[in-house]
Amino acid sequence: MELEALQKALPAFAALGASLVAISPQLEKFNRQVRKQHQLEFEVLSDPENQIARQFGLVYQVQGELRQVYEGFGLDLNKYNGDDSWTLPMPARFIIDQKSIIRYAEVNPDYTERPEPEETVAALKAVLNE
Amino acid sequence: MSLTEKLNALKERSRKNLQPEALAILHNATENLKKSGILKMTKKVGDKAPDFSLRGASGQTLGLDKLLEHGPLVLNFYRGKW
Repeated sequence: MELEALQKALPAFAALGASLVAISPQLEKFNRQVRKQHQLEFEVLSDPENQIARQFGLVYQVQGELRQVYEGFGLDLNKYNGDDSWTLPMPARFIIDQKSIIRYAEVNPDYTERPEPEETVAALKAVLNE
Repeated sequence: MSLTEKLNALKERSRKNLQPEALAILHNATENLKKSGILKMTKKVGDKAPDFSLRGASGQTLGLDKLLEHGPLVLNFYRGKW
C-alpha cells in the first residue's frame, strides 16, 4: 500500500532530481513479486537479516504473543526473510542528501501510520531550497 | 484516496475481522515498542546515513554512493509483502 503510494509520487521525486528506493528484509524473489504486483518502477533492495535497518536503529524482535499472533495469521517470517531471526524494521522514510547527511526522518513504531508521500515531496523541496 | 485514508480503512477492516484477543496483542505490542526507547536509537536529521550496498530485486547490487550520484535519495524501509 505504501509502496504503491510512493510509486504515484515517483514522478514528483524524479522532477526534483531525487532517487527513490525501498529496503526490505525480504528475499529478492518476494521483492520481485512486489515490484511486479504494484508495477513499481523504483528498486526494492533486499536487506538480509535487517543488517542495514539495524544501523538505522529500526530493528525490533517479534516475540512472545505477537509472534504467536503472526503465526496464527499464517505469517512465516523465516520464509519471507530467509533467516530465523524474527526481526523486522519499523516502517521509516528518510531523505539523504548528496553528502550522505540525513535531512528528513520519519519513523513510527505504529505500522498502521505512514507519512503521505506528498509530505516527503514537500520536505524534499525544502531541503533543495536551502 | 490518500495513503492515510487507505491505512485507516485497512485498520477498520482488521478491527471487524480479527479476534479481539489478537487485536489487543497487536495493539499492546505497538505500545510496548513505543515505550521501549527504541525511538531514541534511530538515525535522526543531521546524522550521517550508514553506507550500504544491497541487492535489488533483479540481483544487481546498488549502493548508497551510486544512488546519491545525481541528487538526494528518498529511502523507505518496508517490512514485506505479507
